[in-house]
Amino acid sequence: MSKIIGIDLGTTNSEAAYIEAGKPVVIKSVEGQPYFPSVVAFTKTGEMLVGEAAKRQAVTNTEGTVQRIKRKMGTNEKVNLRGKTYTPQQISAFILQKIKKDAEDFLGEKITDAVITVPAYFNDDQRQATKDAGAIAGFNVKRIINEPTAAALAYGLDKEGDQKIAVYDFGGGTLDVTIMEVGGGVFEVLSTSGDTQLGGSDMDRALVDYIAEEFKKRHGVDLRKEPKTLQRVLEAAETAKIELSSTLQTDINLPYIYVVTGEPKHLEVKLTRTKLEEIISPIVQRSEKPCRQALQDAKLKPQDIDHVVLVGGVTRMQMVQKKVEEIFKQKPKREVDPMECVAIGAAIQAGVLSGEIDKDIVLLDVTPLTLSIETLGGVATPLIDRNTTVPTRKSKVFSTAADNQTSVEINVLQGERPMAADNKSLGRFHLDGILPAPRGIPQIEVSFDIDVNGIMNVSAKDLGTGKEQSIRITGSTKLSDSEIERMRKEAKEHEDEDKKRKEKIEIRNTADSLVHSTEKTLEELKDKFSSDDKENLEKALKELREALTGDDTDKIKEKTDSLTQAFQKASATIYQQAAQHYQQQPGQDGAQGDAWQGHPSDDDSTINADYKVKGEKKKKKDEDTE
Amino acid sequence: MPTKKPTDTKKNTQETAHHTIKKLEEENTQLHQEIIDKNDKYLRTLADFQNYQKRMEKELQAQKEDTKKKYLLELLDLTELLKKAYEDSDPKSGLKLILENLDKFLEKEGIIYIDCKGKPFNYQLHNAVSTIEQSECVDGTILDEIKKGYLVGEKLLRPARVIVAKKKP
Repeated sequence: MSKIIGIDLGTTNSEAAYIEAGKPVVIKSVEGQPYFPSVVAFTKTGEMLVGEAAKRQAVTNTEGTVQRIKRKMGTNEKVNLRGKTYTPQQISAFILQKIKKDAEDFLGEKITDAVITVPAYFNDDQRQATKDAGAIAGFNVKRIINEPTAAALAYGLDKEGDQKIAVYDFGGGTLDVTIMEVGGGVFEVLSTSGDTQLGGSDMDRALVDYIAEEFKKRHGVDLRKEPKTLQRVLEAAETAKIELSSTLQTDINLPYIYVVTGEPKHLEVKLTRTKLEEIISPIVQRSEKPCRQALQDAKLKPQDIDHVVLVGGVTRMQMVQKKVEEIFKQKPKREVDPMECVAIGAAIQAGVLSGEIDKDIVLLDVTPLTLSIETLGGVATPLIDRNTTVPTRKSKVFSTAADNQTSVEINVLQGERPMAADNKSLGRFHLDGILPAPRGIPQIEVSFDIDVNGIMNVSAKDLGTGKEQSIRITGSTKLSDSEIERMRKEAKEHEDEDKKRKEKIEIRNTADSLVHSTEKTLEELKDKFSSDDKENLEKALKELREALTGDDTDKIKEKTDSLTQAFQKASATIYQQAAQHYQQQPGQDGAQGDAWQGHPSDDDSTINADYKVKGEKKKKKDEDTE
Repeated sequence: MPTKKPTDTKKNTQETAHHTIKKLEEENTQLHQEIIDKNDKYLRTLADFQNYQKRMEKELQAQKEDTKKKYLLELLDLTELLKKAYEDSDPKSGLKLILENLDKFLEKEGIIYIDCKGKPFNYQLHNAVSTIEQSECVDGTILDEIKKGYLVGEKLLRPARVIVAKKKP
């Protein structure tokens, strides 16, 4: 079945969304914005413009531009644009056509079906006109739904049984308040109220007035008179407004805003949140009456309302949220972007109609916590991160920690803490029969396989012998919410201390590996080291060994560093000798690399040394090709 | 003789039926297993896809942060230099170099200034803030630039905000 898109056909802006893999996605316009101005224009040359471009040229082409056509929907009024008359349906159809084209570009497929939203107070004529506009634009309008219904759908409020919902929609130019009742997935509008002359632009104007007056007091110049300065003040007001929703005070600085008798003047105004709230308070205050009216018309008290939903950019302001909370005596919902929630709700309705959101949709579980195994030093090494969707399978190759180790223990852990002991052990088993070999050589592949029911199969396979052991763990995804919460909280609380402990272990592991590889190298290359180097190495090695018997991490680190340095110095001497040898006997490329194969690759010193070998080889090759 | 034949046929039919049933049963078991396998595969692919989505989201976030870092570092360098210039008693020559560096950076990023004064209004590049009626003018000519506009490569970064001439009728 083809996609159905959801459209928020707004008075000032329009927007569309659709459902992808069960989730709503907002469709970006060709200009790259999630929404565009609901403006249509015909230029002198007869070219039609819709959206941003139409808005930009509006003042130069008043006779050819139309805005806010939504207010004329359902009337017999006609619009005359450059000698041709259009019905409001036709103008709206131009906006819808742009949405259709943008959606087709965005999705790469033909779109014919749509769900369009309208204000709850729209009458039958207005709804029919909207449907007609859709048809003119080439849409098969599957349904017309109310904007507040769409907003409630975006919050999934249709699934929570019988509810009473208030939707507070405060946009750039209008305020709409709707009280609805939902039951069995059906929304019924109980009352609507609003103010068509109240919006965010009033707030901006009030703020600009304040800033301009402050400047005027000091310098006697009205910044509102000059378009150039007005523009800068407008933008600064907008920025300050956004900033003050997260801070308590902001500085509005506009350097070189004006030249007064040959001297440049800067605008410097301090604005506190309290001051901002004082300035916009009369506007926010005006939104209270429509809310009270809507409640009264619905014959409800504020405490009868189960949920309050916020729609529109203005509701991002804390003061507005506080006001709503004060009126309805509860915290309003604002998790979904208030600018997008109507389009998202329309898309959800569209998804239900197309079967994209099916009631029987496969809901896959996620792992509530990270699943790991215990490795050297009691560290929890993750295989499957928390919040991974199951069924899934992950495997990792591990090795032994000691020479001639013939058995490994697999301890399966659940939890967010970096140390094994702090997590919950889900089960443990041994894999025996590993062939005796130096540490780091055997390859043990550990796999976690969680099926759709959350049953986890953990297996360990010795890739050398093919021997395998496994256990089944049930309920790895089934944990009570409180348990998950507790474990996550603990992890958060212990984050710093855990990090330090893990670092400590890692330093110890690195030192341990270094001791081991140094011993081995000393044994293997005893004839190649100079006696000086050998003595230095042995001394550093002894000191590190001693440090390891204690618990002083700084000391272990320091001694690791000095051993690494001694090692590097000794290696350099050997390479110099080898290079001389190599120059005398060319054509033995790779001989040095082989010598390193007997070493574990899990400690820093070997990795460093290995890297050096590769680096030198590469250099050689580069020289060869040049 | 004629009585024997139907029994034979009956026996044959029964055998064939048994055979068919057995074959169908085998087929059924096989198909059943196939459905289980396919369903498992389907669910795993679905889970893989969801995990992929989550990973992409994370990567996108990381990329955004990288970009942010890049510009923040540039901004920090600039801030430090401006602070030095501010402490300089004669900052003009220093400021000149700072500006040159800044221009170079912007040029490297593909920023192009939209030169608009005196040119005809173009909705693709300009945003008309107001108009001024004049009797002696070419209709639609840009009289003044209120805020500079820029392109990044061929894409519009920000339209120039302009005042446009309107011929008095």
